[in-house]
Amino acid sequence: MGDREYQVLYFGPQHPGAPGNIAFKLWLDGDRVVKAEVIPGFLHRGFEKMMENRTWEMNVTMSYRFCVEDPDHLEIAYALAVEDIYRAEIPENAKWLRMIQAEMGRVASHLFWSHFIGGSVGLRTPAYWAVAAREEILKWFARISGHRIYHNLSVPGGIRYALPENFKEETLRVVNFVEEKARDVEDALLRNSIFKARLRGLGKLSGEEALSLGVTGPVLRASGVKYDLRVNAPYLNYDKVRFEVPVGSAGDAYERSVVRFKEIQQSLSIIRQSVEELRPGEPLRVKLGLSAPAGEGVARVESARGEYMIHIISQGGRRPYRVRLKSMSMPLLTTVVDYLISKEEVTIADFPVILASLDPCPPDLDR
Amino acid sequence: MVLPTLIKSVKYLVSKPYTRIVPRKSQPFKTESIRGAHVLDMLKCVGCSMCQQVCPAACIDMVVVEGEYPQNPKKRFPRIDHSKCTFCGLCVEYCPVGALTMTTATGYELFTTSKDSTFKEPLKLKEALGKVTVTKDLFTSAYAQGVITKESSSRG
Repeated sequence: MGDREYQVLYFGPQHPGAPGNIAFKLWLDGDRVVKAEVIPGFLHRGFEKMMENRTWEMNVTMSYRFCVEDPDHLEIAYALAVEDIYRAEIPENAKWLRMIQAEMGRVASHLFWSHFIGGSVGLRTPAYWAVAAREEILKWFARISGHRIYHNLSVPGGIRYALPENFKEETLRVVNFVEEKARDVEDALLRNSIFKARLRGLGKLSGEEALSLGVTGPVLRASGVKYDLRVNAPYLNYDKVRFEVPVGSAGDAYERSVVRFKEIQQSLSIIRQSVEELRPGEPLRVKLGLSAPAGEGVARVESARGEYMIHIISQGGRRPYRVRLKSMSMPLLTTVVDYLISKEEVTIADFPVILASLDPCPPDLDR
Repeated sequence: MVLPTLIKSVKYLVSKPYTRIVPRKSQPFKTESIRGAHVLDMLKCVGCSMCQQVCPAACIDMVVVEGEYPQNPKKRFPRIDHSKCTFCGLCVEYCPVGALTMTTATGYELFTTSKDSTFKEPLKLKEALGKVTVTKDLFTSAYAQGVITKESSSRG
């Protein structure tokens, strides 16, 4: 760091501005952050190794536990990868229900994110409305899957639970409720002049920069690159529904917020279309054998934070030989934060805002 | 201007609060299929230890209980550690005779200050702490008929 003396500040893991259980070592020159070093390890549990010691059906409960905000995509990705090994074809009904589950998870994650971004700039009031809307989604999950956060709903072979009777009405009611609340939060946050003044021009990433830093998801799309796995490499039935991929241009923190709020509306539209395709009474699951054939399974899903990939190697038998998880938050917390601090003047007050606008999930980096 | 935020805030100012006071005024949110504390039907359990083998948290072990259980010659029944259990419901799903079910008792209702009592002995598991919600039927009804795989051969 040269001969100059900098003030060293430890930021996190219990700081309210930190995005979760992760810490940063910051070098400060006045109130400007000149260097940030990420300190991981607070949540390291060794998921990949643990999954090697558990059977295919037990690993479902392991597969989603490293991202509280968005566990559904992780769970669906694991199920898709195991089905790839088994070469199993799941019922259409299960595919539609998985899409509803995934999109509900995305909406819940983005609503929770608006709580963080609101909190980081001091606009806590609209943020609480978003949490109320998320609560309604969690209740919906509790009704159809039995739990609020970790649902354990998509398992290799399809959907585990039978559908409740009034599933369609209940889902549409939740979608309407969330849509109204999300619009209110969007108006209150995005049209607020303080919010605009704090976020515009902050944490700017151009499309090429974002691509070279390895960014995916809403952060990449806010930089003007139209890349969404649901369109570019469709899985489940995403090629059978109509939706738009919101793309920004400026690539700053404000644009990321706009893209995320637009994504909420698109996700709700996907849920509406998928609910119509569900056939109550038809099977949701196929039986897979206890021992898998030898082979490899890969699944890529567009999670709320970006592209998530899981690669499983099976040598036959009841347990995977190797599980590899590609984290979606890894570039956000390492390369992107480093790059933004080296490129622009980031003050200590703006640092939590940049972190919140990237919406990383630290446990997903640690695992 | 911060006017849009203020206008929206007025709308929420006159609306009812969304939060619920738990447990003083309302119960924790429960549904008809929520996964909570287990119930063991000791007249059905055959002591096969499938629940023990399938538990991802390894919170089930098999203990011997004296008594007349003709279907269970070794008299081995599951004992569940509720402090470890993640309530994933795999034990209920994989029980071959449907002896385990789950109830609405969750969260603070299972909290305890004594470490010994987190072990739920088979005789304690007999009594349902709440309404029975999750049974094996819930999982089996999601299945299609037969085994479906496109190609039976492995990819190699």
